[in-house]
Parts: sequence; C-alpha cells; structure tokens
Amino acid sequence: MSLPVSQMWAVASYVIKQKITGRKRYPLVLMLEPLFRCNLACAGCGKIQYPAQILRKHLTVEQCLAAVDECGAPVVSIPGGEPLMYPDIGPLVEALVARRKYVYLCTNAILLKEKLEAGLFTPSKYFSFSVHLDGLRAEHDEAVCRDGVYVQAVEGIKEALRRGFRVTTNSTLFDGVSPLKMREFFDEMMDLGVEGMMISPGYSYSKAPDQEHFLRTQRAHDLFSAILSNPKRRWRFNQSPLFLQFLMGKQDFECTPWGNPTYNVFGWQRPCYLLQEGYAASFTELLETTRWENYGRRSGNEKCRDCMVHCGYEPTAVHHTFASWRGFRDTVHATVTGRF
Amino acid sequence: MTDGARLEGWVPEIGGAVSLEAVVDQAFDYRGNVTVVKTDGSETVGYLFNRNRDVPVPFVQMFDVNGAGPYTIPYREIRTIRFTGRDTAAGQSYAAWLRAKEAAKGALHAEKDSGRTPPRDA
Repeated sequence: MSLPVSQMWAVASYVIKQKITGRKRYPLVLMLEPLFRCNLACAGCGKIQYPAQILRKHLTVEQCLAAVDECGAPVVSIPGGEPLMYPDIGPLVEALVARRKYVYLCTNAILLKEKLEAGLFTPSKYFSFSVHLDGLRAEHDEAVCRDGVYVQAVEGIKEALRRGFRVTTNSTLFDGVSPLKMREFFDEMMDLGVEGMMISPGYSYSKAPDQEHFLRTQRAHDLFSAILSNPKRRWRFNQSPLFLQFLMGKQDFECTPWGNPTYNVFGWQRPCYLLQEGYAASFTELLETTRWENYGRRSGNEKCRDCMVHCGYEPTAVHHTFASWRGFRDTVHATVTGRF
Repeated sequence: MTDGARLEGWVPEIGGAVSLEAVVDQAFDYRGNVTVVKTDGSETVGYLFNRNRDVPVPFVQMFDVNGAGPYTIPYREIRTIRFTGRDTAAGQSYAAWLRAKEAAKGALHAEKDSGRTPPRDA
C-alpha cells in the first residue's frame, strides 16, 4: 500500500472511533459529484446521460461543504462528470483541505495541465489527483472513445508531479483486458512516479453505451488473479490489499453500500454510488430510510449479483482489517510482503 | 416496455393494465425529459429524478426544462406522464466510435494497399 502514514492513521483512528461508539453504519469515503457534465463520453460510463438542463447544473461550494460536514467521512472523492469543469473546483478543494479531509480529485486529466498552470491548486498531503487511466495508450483511448487522451493525461500527470502534487491513478477493467498489458501499464505508471494505483472492475451500468464488456464474477476473479498473482515489488496500490485479494477471489466479502455514500445535484443517492434507486434529502435520511437488506450479493438483488466495485467492497475490506486480529494480520502481511 | 429507446414518445393511458406507479417507475428510470400531466390539467416538463412511495404521501421530484426546481409533486396529483424528451441513454456513442475506428483502419489499409500495388501499366 502506498498511502501516507498520516492518512492511514486518520482512517484507522476514525474507524476505531466508530467501533468504540458502536456505530453500525458509518461512511469512509464521500463520493461528491458537483456536476455530471463531462468532456468525454466513455464506453463504460453510465453517469452522464442526462438532458441538457441537468448537465448544466452544478452544486454550490456551500452545498458541497454542508454535505461533507453532515457525512463526516475522513476521505472525500470528487468524481463526476469531470470535476475540472466545475467552475469552483479550486475553492472547493481549498475548503476541504482546510477541513483536513483527504481529497481525491478524480479526473480524466484533459484539463489538468491548463488548470495547474492557472494556479488553481496548492500541493498538500491532504490532496491528490486521481487520474483516470484504463490502460496503456491504445487501450485507454479506446475505453474513453477518443484518440490522444492518454498522451494528454500523462502530460498532466508529469506536470502535477513536477509541481509537487500527490498523483494516483484509477483504472476500471472490463472483459477482454489483457493481463500482460495491464502489468505493462503498472510498470509505466511506476516509471512515471505516481504515488499509487487504484483498480476496480467496471459496474454494469444499464445506461452505459457499451453493454457487452462488463465483467462477471468468475471472469473478474480470473482476470485479477492473472494480473496480480505475481506482483512486482515496485507496484504500489492506493487501496486495501484485502480488496485486491477479494478481486482475485481470495476473500469472500459482502457489499457495504453505505461505506461510500454519494451526494450530487439530486441529493443523497440511494443506495450507493452505482445504483440510482432514489434520493434522500439528508445523509441521516439516507442511512435511516434506505432498505439496506435489499442490496449486496447475498440479498439476491440481480443488480448487485456481479458487482465487485471498489465503492462497495473497499469499505468492507477496511472494516475487515479492524474487525478481527485475522483481518489485521492479513492486511499487515500483504502490505509488508507486497503479495496478495 | 422496459427499454428507454422504446419509451421515447410513449403517451400512457393510466388505468387497466397500466398503473400510475408503474409509469412513475418508468419515468424515474428514463434519461430524458418527461411531461407530467396533473389532475388539474396543468403540465410540468422536465427531468424526473426521484420518486418515493415509502412515505405517507408518495411523491415525485423533478427539475423543469430550465433546470429550476426541484419541484415535488404528490402521486395523487398526477394524471399521467408523457415521455416527450429524447432518451439521452439511447445514443450509440460507443457503436459510433467503433464504426469510426473500423473506417479509419479500412482507409489506412486501402492507402497502404494502393501504395504497394504497382499500377498495371507500369
């Protein structure tokens, strides 16, 4: 794992505090979507298909901060849409850092170099760019349905690193991905000097343009095992090693849909970042009125059957680390040895 | 009807086999604007983003075509919902991308072939 010690400590102490206070359901990462507008239309994305008036809408900074304060999660991830198209992204990040939230700005990096040169952001241990890259040049450009995006993203990464920012990558994997190519991609990212990588299978959004390449459970296990079974020591992942073991089929986890709650222009999304079954007006309402028993693989819900996405299972992995000595031992062992 | 492309243009008649609850669910899942026709005859055109039947007064919520709102409308005030806007999830952007890539590859091959093949009269 490549997380800074201060971040690990912040998350660990937060989780322990929740356990001591007996809180049954608590959030780890707030998924804050200030807008749905995007400058790409990726094949596997079901997030941006809305009428024009919805794409023109965005949250105010005050709405974002009120959601962050109400939720209380120690980590805030800003996806979208493309957050660098959000007009107040600079002030929003500054306010979140001032609150000592660990912020991941998830971007396709097309605008990254331009925004950095405009002086929109200041490096901080609390702030990281999480650049969306689904593989090497050919694979990534195909995933985002536009040539040249990989090159732009790499330029943005280099510029961010040169200016002293924390930079991670996030990759969504679909059926047909070559394990060998993904291993080459990991090498390439380490050569670039990113802090760590995040990987996850794609969720089968019913609204995504490409419906043919979403991974089913066994295929996902096979793919991630082929990629991660013999990991190189130099690879660093910015996520729980137990989640990576889960992707490989070595851990049997259940989803924690409230672990990464989502707030956007519609409100608090039920039940999770991926499914849209309605909206609550407040985080408390979301927690108290969502029928959580209807979600997760064991619920029998068809929409959850093949889902192995990080936003539901990474919180489970973190919970598992602190729930038993075995979980803690497994996490420490994987972290120290670099093997999953 | 379950798929958005087939819902576009649908003007359901509530009653008989088509319940208001089912139409609301379809409208909630639809990624285009709809027209909510109320029992008093007035209409609201916009994007229906939320519905909740698990409360004493079931309601829908929507932003109108100018983005104003959210407006909350109780189920009991809805006569029907017409699927008047384009379904934004029914686009073929990925298929179009694949077609464009194939066409570009074809053009490249054709160019290479024309360069390699000497003219018959040479």
